[in-house]
Amino acid sequence: MTEQKTSFEPKIVGFLCNWCSYAGADKAGTAQSPYPPNVDVVKVMCSGRVDPQFVMKAFEKGADGVIILACHPGDCHYKEGNYRAAQRFRMLSRLLKQFGIEEGRCRFDYVSAGEGEKFVTVITDMVAAVRALGPLNKSEQAKTA
Amino acid sequence: MKIGIYFCKCGTNISDKIDSEKVKTGLPSGPSELSFKTIDFMCSEDGKESLEKDIKENGIERVVVSACSPRDHENTFMRVLSKAGINPYLMQMVNVREQVAWVTEDNEKATEKAGRYINAAICRVELHDPLEKKEIDICPDVLVIGAGPAGLKTALSIAESGRKVVIVEKTPVIGGMPVRFEELFPNMECGPCMLEPVLGDILHGEHAENIELLTIAEVVDVVGSYGNFTVTVKQKPRYSDIHKCIGCGECIEPCPVSAKNIYNCNLSERKAISFPFAGALPNAPFIDEAICLKKKGYDCSLCKDACPVEDAIIFDDAERTIVRNVGAIVVAIGSDSYDCTKIPDLGYGKIPDVHTGVEFERILASNGPTYGEIQTSQGAAPKSVAIIHCVGSLDKEHKEYCSGICCQYAFKFNHLIENKLPGAKIHHFYKELVIPGKEDFHLYNHAKENPNSTFIRYNNIETLAVSEKEGKKIITNSADGSSVEADMVILCPAVVPTVESGKLGTILEATHDKFGFFEELHGRMDSTQSKIKGVYLAGTCQSPMDIQKTMNQGMAAAGYILSGLVAGRKLEIKPITAVVEEDRCSGCRVCVLVCPYKAVAYDTEKGSSVVNEVLCQGCGTCVAACPVGAIKGNHFTNNEILAEIEGVLS
Repeated sequence: MTEQKTSFEPKIVGFLCNWCSYAGADKAGTAQSPYPPNVDVVKVMCSGRVDPQFVMKAFEKGADGVIILACHPGDCHYKEGNYRAAQRFRMLSRLLKQFGIEEGRCRFDYVSAGEGEKFVTVITDMVAAVRALGPLNKSEQAKTA
Repeated sequence: MKIGIYFCKCGTNISDKIDSEKVKTGLPSGPSELSFKTIDFMCSEDGKESLEKDIKENGIERVVVSACSPRDHENTFMRVLSKAGINPYLMQMVNVREQVAWVTEDNEKATEKAGRYINAAICRVELHDPLEKKEIDICPDVLVIGAGPAGLKTALSIAESGRKVVIVEKTPVIGGMPVRFEELFPNMECGPCMLEPVLGDILHGEHAENIELLTIAEVVDVVGSYGNFTVTVKQKPRYSDIHKCIGCGECIEPCPVSAKNIYNCNLSERKAISFPFAGALPNAPFIDEAICLKKKGYDCSLCKDACPVEDAIIFDDAERTIVRNVGAIVVAIGSDSYDCTKIPDLGYGKIPDVHTGVEFERILASNGPTYGEIQTSQGAAPKSVAIIHCVGSLDKEHKEYCSGICCQYAFKFNHLIENKLPGAKIHHFYKELVIPGKEDFHLYNHAKENPNSTFIRYNNIETLAVSEKEGKKIITNSADGSSVEADMVILCPAVVPTVESGKLGTILEATHDKFGFFEELHGRMDSTQSKIKGVYLAGTCQSPMDIQKTMNQGMAAAGYILSGLVAGRKLEIKPITAVVEEDRCSGCRVCVLVCPYKAVAYDTEKGSSVVNEVLCQGCGTCVAACPVGAIKGNHFTNNEILAEIEGVLS
């Protein structure tokens, strides 16, 4: 078991808003700050675009974790999309729990366009947390759904 | 479908980390025909040329660009696609430089990640729809609401560029508050003189023909959106023709009735026909129909009889409804003073000689109720004046914010009182002193150096009380038991939104902040834009501010309009918007609620929500909110995003 966890490379999908978080990820890039390669980014214009079904789809298709990154409160390019995203995330968290998906597998955080270092920290933490949780154990039913 | 995958090496920036050969061999096999090419520097002229050539020569239908961040060169490559003859939205860019090569330590893992991204992009781009920018005709004319400094500055700038402007002003006079002030901080400039060039140009300048000035008027309805608003204005009768009237004032003297003059803060009376105050522009009197004998049905025509100009006075003038088409709207309705009776212990409205700052401005004005003489209600020159700062400002019980202008005008008053009443004592009661800027400290220093000026700090306005004893005003502070005597008290109330602010906000669908000021799009980046596209904010309707900032905002509004709405040029609408599938819409209207731009409305006739493409900014919040999936987010459709998710995970 211990061996499996150390060699386990989690697959994580990251939904990043175009204006803050995606730009924050670029900032980490221009600063050439390394972070684990486990988070694959799917860009959306606004975190408010993240439909809960995207998260469900990611888990269904084999993701071990999902992270949604938004503009800081008050900074949303679209004024309030990040608040909608935060609301939906709360609802989604409850739903995921009912499906037996551990809390730490789906995370919501704020990363601004200037926060390259925070992006690195958030991603590194997320990867470590999901690595510790191990692979997502979906029931056979969920796999075939 | 033939998909071209173009892998930019970016010199060695990408290729040092990501093995393009491995990426190529790892490409998925699917229904689409894939072509993989590497280019050294795709954003260079040579790179763009080879991209264009390859697309054309090989009949590429969809493009995946694996390169830097789309924030760098997405537009560059979209233009190449257009040049190559395919729709620019049939491209997906993969950010393998900033988000893979530069941040992944292990080369193999970087190559694998790039492979996943490219695979996702292939899955996604297969589903892309060709999208076209739309263009709509616009009306370059502008509506300016409010004829104070901000509104006039905007109006004049736009008129000078040859564009038509309609100014709607609720009072009979233009120039806003500063034309009622004898002198202005920080340099003791004469208010009316400073504004005279602007006022003159508005009324009679070279570009005045581009300006339609509607006084005693209000906007009652607005429909449409940026580029094409239809505005309905109700104009009350002035009973004088501002173009025919020569402003001689012969009509005023014979008028037999008078009432309190609100333009002098009710400190004097005005005849039923008269000017708001001497020198008010437009230089034509107006009739107060509430007191005019003629309007009450009496057979009085003394004013008209005295008028030397035929038809300058129009007794049968009537309310007009005026409809205008404009492309943009500037809200410049100014602000008001906090109601000082809400702090009853200060005695305002009960004790004579307790005035607000604006009332004192009129007392100081040579065209005011006392012709510039500072007098108590008993007609005497005060020997001492108390100025209470921060009345309602910086106060959680009243207005939390600092109004930002009161200290400056209080020290201006200090200076003027000193000049007009040599030797008079001036007591400043203040909570905080705020004197920003490079010029404003002069008046403060001047007050500080005046041996007759005293500064008394208080913590809480609720502990201050003004009472009257034998004609003297006693200002006591219950916090420390101190008291000061004065012949006159001037209150500096918080700057607050006008009563019209709420109603106009509803008409324009523009939002207010928690204080009731019009809410800006962004406090620092875009304080002149409201949250409704095409509705701009200038001056103190947005926030308390001084004349300098007001004028700057007026110019900023003009700038936005002149650059955004250009006569003869169509308004370009980006295609990344939401689109409602009317058949699927259940009519729940969640989309209407979540849209931050009021771009979604419910059409009762169609029984479906509809998106205004001009207002939609493409955030996709409504798309995610729609419970029946009836809204499509162009270029970020559910299918496209789901394909991308599957693509990175497969």
